[in-house]
Amino acid sequence: MNKTQTALLSLLLLTAFPALAQDRFVFTPQWTPQAQFAGYYVALEQGFYQEAGIDVVIEHPTSTRPALDRVFKNESQATTLQLTQALEIIDSGVPLVNILQTSMNNALVIVAREDVDPLTRKGMRVGTWSAGFDQIAVCLSLREGLDYQWVPFSSGVNLFLAGAIDATIAMSYNEYYQLVQAGVSITDRNVYRFSDHGYNVQEDGVYMTRAYFEKHQDQARRFAEASRRGWEWAAEHPEETLQIVMDYVQKYHIATNRVLQKLMLDEILRLQVNWETGVREFRLRPDMVEKASTLMQENQLLFHEITYDELIGR
Amino acid sequence: MKRLLALIRQSLPAKLSLLIVLFAAAIFIASLGFMFQQSQKSVHQEAINRAEQVLENTVLRVTNILDRVQVATDNTDWLPVRHLDAPESMFVYSRRILVNNPDLNGCSISFEPYYFPDRGKYFSAYSLNEGGQIRTTQEGNPNYDYFTLDWYQLAKLLDRPCWTEPYYDYNPDNFYSQDMIASYCKPMKDEDGNYVGTISVDMSLGWLSETISAVRPYPNSYSIMIGRGGTFFVHPDSTKLFYETIFTETLEHDDPDRVALGKAMQAGEEGMKRLKMEGEDCYVFYKPLGETAWSVAIVCPVSDILSGYKRLRIAVMLIVILGLLLLWRVFRQIIRRELAPLGKLTSQARTIAAGEFDKELPDDGRTDEIGQLSQSFSGMQHSLVSYMDELKKTTAQKASIESELKVASDIQMGMVPRIFPAFPKRDDIDLYASMTPAKEVGGDLYDYFEQDDRIYLCVGDVSGKGIPASLFMAVTRNLFRIIAQQGKSPVEVAEQINSFLVQDNDQAMFVTMFIGRIDMSTGRFDFCNCGHNPPMMDGQFLPLKYTNRPLGLWDGAPFQGETIENIRGRQLLLYTDGLNEAENRSQEILGNDRLLELMAGAGKLSAREVILRLQQAVERHRDGATPNDDLTLLCLRLLELK
Repeated sequence: MNKTQTALLSLLLLTAFPALAQDRFVFTPQWTPQAQFAGYYVALEQGFYQEAGIDVVIEHPTSTRPALDRVFKNESQATTLQLTQALEIIDSGVPLVNILQTSMNNALVIVAREDVDPLTRKGMRVGTWSAGFDQIAVCLSLREGLDYQWVPFSSGVNLFLAGAIDATIAMSYNEYYQLVQAGVSITDRNVYRFSDHGYNVQEDGVYMTRAYFEKHQDQARRFAEASRRGWEWAAEHPEETLQIVMDYVQKYHIATNRVLQKLMLDEILRLQVNWETGVREFRLRPDMVEKASTLMQENQLLFHEITYDELIGR
Repeated sequence: MKRLLALIRQSLPAKLSLLIVLFAAAIFIASLGFMFQQSQKSVHQEAINRAEQVLENTVLRVTNILDRVQVATDNTDWLPVRHLDAPESMFVYSRRILVNNPDLNGCSISFEPYYFPDRGKYFSAYSLNEGGQIRTTQEGNPNYDYFTLDWYQLAKLLDRPCWTEPYYDYNPDNFYSQDMIASYCKPMKDEDGNYVGTISVDMSLGWLSETISAVRPYPNSYSIMIGRGGTFFVHPDSTKLFYETIFTETLEHDDPDRVALGKAMQAGEEGMKRLKMEGEDCYVFYKPLGETAWSVAIVCPVSDILSGYKRLRIAVMLIVILGLLLLWRVFRQIIRRELAPLGKLTSQARTIAAGEFDKELPDDGRTDEIGQLSQSFSGMQHSLVSYMDELKKTTAQKASIESELKVASDIQMGMVPRIFPAFPKRDDIDLYASMTPAKEVGGDLYDYFEQDDRIYLCVGDVSGKGIPASLFMAVTRNLFRIIAQQGKSPVEVAEQINSFLVQDNDQAMFVTMFIGRIDMSTGRFDFCNCGHNPPMMDGQFLPLKYTNRPLGLWDGAPFQGETIENIRGRQLLLYTDGLNEAENRSQEILGNDRLLELMAGAGKLSAREVILRLQQAVERHRDGATPNDDLTLLCLRLLELK
């Protein structure tokens, strides 16, 4: 080992040491990189996690290693989940803690063919994600007696575009814009927004297992705080945030583009505002937890009621 | 610019050649404009036909290959359906398709969940061509939940064979080695027509991408292919592939033309649209790709289509402009050469005008108008020179004549008494006279003299003018002096003068004359008027009993005289017709009436004053006109004796 090599090694050790001192924290968003997770990218890129003393690593899920799997196996310390998903998981016997609630509103929509009102077509084929996220839509179908025939798809909007299904579930920030981008005409009739019809249930939040939470409450709090800072910064700097998102998107070769990501970021940030107060609140609303729990129970998606307290770390 | 215009205005060759060029340019512009318009139309149509033909051929080539995939599938799919009781055979069939069709990538024969209960939920016999090696496996598992994938579901839900959208072959190790793949999938049904699974054949689309990308009928044209969702699967900008659709840009910037194009392509229409693509005016020719839901388009910038034509147009225009310039120059040279003699002529005319009459004119032997002009000019020059010589001679002669005439005039004027007062020794008479010849010498005369207390006087006017008249006048005046000095009466004087004049009067000249004699002691006035103007007495025409004939015409009848017993105190005016018949520019005569007017207030004036007044009146009446006749005036008054 010559002098140069020795110097380099020492430099590496010196710079690596503070990181080693920090808590390593793997965060896995529930989907591939996109503006839906902009706040976390920002918090990492802007050094908010580092300032909070956490060595955060963002690892996106793959088809063989889904987000929840990683959390259950403790390969990942936290993930994002929709409220209804979290309720289902807790109901199945895995206690989870919501450490940060980002979404204040529901983004779920049903898009039908041009000029077709989704609520007028009983028994129609409606595409939905094979990975879930459709609990509220299932509730609607059951409550309204629409008797939809659910067709699970892995991703994308091809089934709908090919005419293989009559309608499709979409997120107002994601597939909705994919459909628009694919030339699907959006009219007053063919889009059903759940948030406008008494189904406004919060969605994305950051969850971890209660077991992990109990042992690392301070770390969880610091992660949540830094993530919230990330989101607030994103809201104030949408252009820079979009660039950060695009860097991730390009790194992971996601089939998307700047226009779609910009629309997604705008919509995600819009959904984070409590429309009643006009404030970005970052809190789980007990009334929405109750509404979701009740709806899902009514439609046999939950076996028992999950309360607000069960979701919150005390 | 002003200098140029001035130059053109001054130079006939420049002006003429410019006119010719302008006329030619107008003809060129009209005919080329028409030609350009027509050829642009046909180039346009030709380009459209060409692009459509290229597109047609491309689509045909691609669909031919895609059809092979379909045929391969169709030729095989009856086998699995006939052996639904033998799941193991599915591996054989899936392998056989790849063996028989080495250009296919993979083939899966996949069944509904738990279709073969002993095989569990997943059963998908999948064969993969790995560089010629065919590997066959059962690939369904919880991590590869094929039931939710497009290739499986499309055939199932649509209940007919179809192509999936192109997708990237999954290669977790190396993203960039991923190949674009599409699957032809077909539902499989049992004897009862119930759906049992999907047979799907994968084909790498690298060749398709290359084939379509290579279609470039024009240098800057390019091809695109979109899927049923408008996604770009072929596009010159590789960053758009899979990531963007034909509508993506319209989400940010409204572009109805682009949307219309996208919708038409999605709808499987075939056609041509003109719109802005990436800010450039383009023709887009589009056509669906067989039974896929994909559509191919060729984007041809309009400027590109017309670039050859535009180059030609610029070349033609340059040639025309150069031709016109050349035409101008050549014409200017020709005209300048043709008109060169004119220039010489002009400068020589100037020289001649400056007085050099003997300057030699060029003779280039031309017979055209210019030659004729040159000859005429030369003739004119010769005439001018001889005329000038003539003129010089004449002028010299005239000068000599004039000097002689001047002498003659002096002599003539010397013949009449011109010293006033006329009779310095007498204070009982006021007499004044003047004679103004119309030319150097005249035919008028007057005279007076005193003899034995009697005063003889006369005023006469010889017929004709000039030298003959002046000679006749001289003769007449001498006769008057000689005869009157013999103490004869006016009648005798008249008769004798007549007798003399009649002799040898071959020229038939004559003279009108008023001859008078005043006896100064008594104031008696005897006179004889020989065809002359009646005199004026105290401002009135003197009524005459006898006018007699002019002198010199013939002998014969005696002359008659008259007498006024006493003219003392009375004003007598004798004159020639140069007074009352003086003409102005309009040849209007002064007239007797005017004369009466002039004389009406002249009773108190002296003889000199009367004559000056009359002279001035004549001058005024003439108003600058050349005198038409000699003017002779004689005025007298016998003063009252004190």
